[in-house]
Amino acid sequence: MLPHNGWQSGTIVELMPTQIGVGEFQFLMPALARISSSERHVAFIAPPYIPFAPALQRHGVQLERLLIVNATKNADALWAAEQTLRCKSFGAVVAWPETIKDRDVRRLQLAAEAGRSVGFLYRSPAAALEASPAAVRLKLQPEASGQLKVDVLKCRGARSGFSFKTDTAAADLAQPSPELLASG
Amino acid sequence: MLWLCISLPQLSLEALRPDESSELTVVTDCEANARWIICCNDAAQRGGLKVGMSYTTALAIRSGITMLERKPQAERAALERLAAWAYQFSSTVIIGEAPLELRRARTAALWLEIGASLRLFGGFRKLIETLEAELTKLDYSYQLGIAPTLEGAALLARAEIRLALTTTQALLARIRDLPVTHLALAPEITQQLYMVGVRTIGAALELPRDAVARRFGPQSSNYLDRLVGAAPDPRDAFKLPHVYSARFEFGFELSNTQALLFPVRRMLREFAGFLIARDTGTQRFTLAFSHRECAATELKIGMSIPARNSEQFFTLVREQLQRVQLPGPTIELALHATEFSLPTGLQADLLNGAVQEAEELSHTIDRVAARLGDEHVYTVRAVAEHRPEASWTAAKHGEKALAPAFPPRPLWLLPTPKPLQSSSMPIAGKPERIESGWWDDRDAQRDYYILRTSEGSQWWVFKDLRDSNWYLHGYWS
Repeated sequence: MLPHNGWQSGTIVELMPTQIGVGEFQFLMPALARISSSERHVAFIAPPYIPFAPALQRHGVQLERLLIVNATKNADALWAAEQTLRCKSFGAVVAWPETIKDRDVRRLQLAAEAGRSVGFLYRSPAAALEASPAAVRLKLQPEASGQLKVDVLKCRGARSGFSFKTDTAAADLAQPSPELLASG
Repeated sequence: MLWLCISLPQLSLEALRPDESSELTVVTDCEANARWIICCNDAAQRGGLKVGMSYTTALAIRSGITMLERKPQAERAALERLAAWAYQFSSTVIIGEAPLELRRARTAALWLEIGASLRLFGGFRKLIETLEAELTKLDYSYQLGIAPTLEGAALLARAEIRLALTTTQALLARIRDLPVTHLALAPEITQQLYMVGVRTIGAALELPRDAVARRFGPQSSNYLDRLVGAAPDPRDAFKLPHVYSARFEFGFELSNTQALLFPVRRMLREFAGFLIARDTGTQRFTLAFSHRECAATELKIGMSIPARNSEQFFTLVREQLQRVQLPGPTIELALHATEFSLPTGLQADLLNGAVQEAEELSHTIDRVAARLGDEHVYTVRAVAEHRPEASWTAAKHGEKALAPAFPPRPLWLLPTPKPLQSSSMPIAGKPERIESGWWDDRDAQRDYYILRTSEGSQWWVFKDLRDSNWYLHGYWS
């Protein structure tokens, strides 16, 4: 399946986390580490916070092949995503658009095909209720165990409507410690 | 020597505006206390206006005429830009003297010695095809003539005889039967020649030169000699400058950014021609927009690798133009470039896949930076610092960096820690104590924890040990 066998190039993948801080970005780290270690570049378009270099580096992302683009206007963000996806040097483009229309997803899809790259789009959980032309659509939500549950809403050319779980870094670190909880 | 003459009959108009306007547009100049039309655009010609007509008459015939005053220095600037551009086809380029005399305004020209370039370009047809393909993109009206003498090439161009005449005999044979009005002599002279029965160029050339000199002045007889190669025609070649500095004066105000793109594009194409002529490229140039009322707006265009492709330049300029607000209408453009280096693709002389991809990458990054601003396109680096906010820095894309080791860190860092209200935190795990920074007055004593919210989010929070307040500093996304 998806995360272990890699992402197919020339596709747009929508990721819809139910909230922030559930390991939704870490979920992409193995792929981004692999891509940036193989002579291709990775772009982050309009990230909502500072992509924290010490963490990215720990996850194996080669920072000299990372490009970050801040955009104040949504149209600029979508444009930059399209430009980078279309460029063959970029293996993956991760974008956090404020909003995105089907038409824009199709444009990005064409750009990803032209550039043989993968486009990851973070969207609001509400988007999961609507249809989208993206090839792969994943809903991401936290489990009580600290793991991340991935619902495959759509996966073009493959089975969908199933879920799997994946570990998160914080879950490993955050084993509850009784005395602290008691004192807190 | 074999000369190609590029005659620019519409230069006095086209040096001021490159776009074909649907308004009736004329360029005028004053002579003998009257204002005369020296150039009309297509719309004006269709409207019945003519070169040589007085402007008063024109106003009586038509209303709504856009009148531009002739600017010889703008024509000179255009000729110089074109000459620099033309050096890609020739090793000697001559700019014709600025025809200040009103009736000769339409004889602006430049010459390229092409005898030496023929082999390089693979013959006449290839050379002319390449040259015309590039010249057409610059949006000048032009006529070409090829002859062994400068005046011969100019005459053929003005007469629109598109034949490459490589010997003076062939030139003579071709122009013999043309009317004397094609000669570059003052109109009163050709009129007098006509009156005494000298109606063709052939007949004029048969006149004894000393008689011509006595009657019409030594310049006239010398001109006839130079035309057929009987007298030398020494002229100073235009020197290809070491730094590029070009101006484009409009003679009117351009307030529409879209309309500005026409002259911008022409200038960039001329600049690219210069770079090809110098066999080099550039990584940075400045495009300045002059305004009447306020200081010029300067766009600095930078590229990660040297380039000389005018379309690439144009994309970068257009993106930057979308970001800036010009403070007023533009009256003049100026392009400056002082540093040059050979484009890498050409340097390596191997346009293989790797080089092409590297070029594509830098073009993409340049384009994005041009539109969004350099400061918004970057990468990040880890810095060996304890305080999280100081343990990263923005850096230029593509630079190799050291990777200091860190304990586990969240992927998102908040630009500034966000105060948390609650006094009892559902924290988990052992804290990571971070104490540092006393030497730069940003002393930090913090205990960092991972906090799991009831919704399942994992936050990176710290307790400030100095005041016991809690802050959110990142997300374990």
